[in-house]
Amino acid sequence: MSHFQSTLVRVLVIQVMTLALLWLLQSRYTA
Amino acid sequence: MHWINWVIVAVYLLVVVVDGLRRTRGTKNLEGYFLAGRSLPWWAVGLSVMATQLSAITLIGTTGQGATDGLRFVQFYFGLPIAMVLLGVTIVPFLHGAKVFTAYEFLEKRFDAKTRSLTSFLFLLSRGMSAGTIIAAPSVVLSAIFGWDLTWCVLLIGVPTILYTVIGGVEAVAWADVKQMVVIVGALFAIVAVLVMRLPVPLDDALRIAGSTGRLKVFDFSFTLTETYTFWSGILGGTFLMLSYFGTDQSQVQRYLAAKSVDEARSSLLMSAYWKIPLQALILLIGVLVFLFYTFTPAPMLYNPRHDAALREQQPAVYAGLEARYTAALAARDQAAREAATVQGDAPLQVFREQNAALDGVRKEALDAAAAATGESSRDVNYIIPRLVLDHLPLGFAGVFLAAVLAAAMSSIAAELNSLSTASVVDFYQRWVKPEGSDSHYLAAGRVATAIWGVFAMVVATYAATLGSLIEVVNRFGSFFYGSILGVFLLAMIKRTRALGAFVGLLAGMGAVAAVSFGAPQVSFLWHNVIGAVVVVVVGSALSFGRGEQDERPLRAG
Repeated sequence: MSHFQSTLVRVLVIQVMTLALLWLLQSRYTA
Repeated sequence: MHWINWVIVAVYLLVVVVDGLRRTRGTKNLEGYFLAGRSLPWWAVGLSVMATQLSAITLIGTTGQGATDGLRFVQFYFGLPIAMVLLGVTIVPFLHGAKVFTAYEFLEKRFDAKTRSLTSFLFLLSRGMSAGTIIAAPSVVLSAIFGWDLTWCVLLIGVPTILYTVIGGVEAVAWADVKQMVVIVGALFAIVAVLVMRLPVPLDDALRIAGSTGRLKVFDFSFTLTETYTFWSGILGGTFLMLSYFGTDQSQVQRYLAAKSVDEARSSLLMSAYWKIPLQALILLIGVLVFLFYTFTPAPMLYNPRHDAALREQQPAVYAGLEARYTAALAARDQAAREAATVQGDAPLQVFREQNAALDGVRKEALDAAAAATGESSRDVNYIIPRLVLDHLPLGFAGVFLAAVLAAAMSSIAAELNSLSTASVVDFYQRWVKPEGSDSHYLAAGRVATAIWGVFAMVVATYAATLGSLIEVVNRFGSFFYGSILGVFLLAMIKRTRALGAFVGLLAGMGAVAAVSFGAPQVSFLWHNVIGAVVVVVVGSALSFGRGEQDERPLRAG
């Protein structure tokens, strides 16, 4: 796997984690 | 400001400029000066791309936006990772493989000279003006906060930047960006830590209060063309905007052309893809924390000190009346906030919301009165974080924050100057005026062009207030062709498309966006790039495949 492909996988993981965190923040504190 | 803060700012400026001046080893020829000999590691290029995009107004304006509007602006960046991945597999291999200096040079290799010259000219026109506004925005804020003359603020930001950009070229710019990014992110985390520690109530309760005002609402799934910040406009419109910006704007393209290889160039873009959304969310979250801080600490009625003083002097009776009502509303909101933090349930939050709305109402009246008194929009949101840092944060923080603002401004301006100089010299001077010059001649021309663009940007910045409407016109004009230029690059990826199709398609795309912009002004600007790009590809393909003659110049990715 090239450096680009392995970085791509990490990018996807970080984006999913960030969006999940933002979603949790919204659903916990927004009525 | 305390002298220790000034020492921090002075040390920062000294380190950036001296380091820039030392990096002249690689600038013996044009490729060294403009592309760092195509030798930069991916992580340095990636940080440089991020620093370039993070301007001073992102740092101060976006935190202010977080304080007044909450987190929803982050949706604007949802398309960025998608755009970076698409660019990594499409445009980047073509541009890097073509061994070009500018993105527009690639268009001559693929299509013809007039398409290259027109796109490069459009870039110079819009970026020349925007370099001025990038200096102007933080200068205006610094000038109002410290009471300095605007010209001195412009010089403080402009002169060191021009110095290291002229002498060190792209290598100095990129390595300065790396340091500047560290300063900026360090300052952001320090501010988060202090704000959280200063909250008089547990963070969980404070976030409940912020949430009750809608500031923690991130996702808006409604599909509408008129609302700018929705999930769909971010994903679709944002992707096209970021494709245009990172794929066709020389100030960004030049960064990854300086990378060692295609793989490193792609990886550098993915670094932005990694961190942009988390970083932007952090900046907006700081804004929310600032809102919470000022919920429990008396907030100024007007954050812009110049407008506050102007209203107080010109209409003392109106000011006194507003101030009395504001103080009362502030006290009522403070009490409601403390109640909401200690008593569980929806009722106290409802009371807080009402008191907060009442306070916002008085503040809106004050803002309108200040705008009427001064004859200009106060852009009060840009003064929220500087006032907080100077008035409330511990010693040393103001110095670090000011250094971060200067870092953000300088990194963006340096990239603009460097890329404006590259496009001027390579796409116009070398192409049309003196094609047979020596490498050292073009290197000297590059330095002169950087200096000229720097002085031009400072002049525009100094007169930004009076040039306001002109700059708006140029910015609006810029939004007409951003997506259209992307369309031309997309067309270049399609086999057998031809020069005539590209040129006419570009004009058609710009015309279509102008028509939408004037005919349906309610359509959010994020959709303009989608419209422009699609029209160019459709018209360009139709003309290319509909004509008999061949003028195709296929180009392979490297």
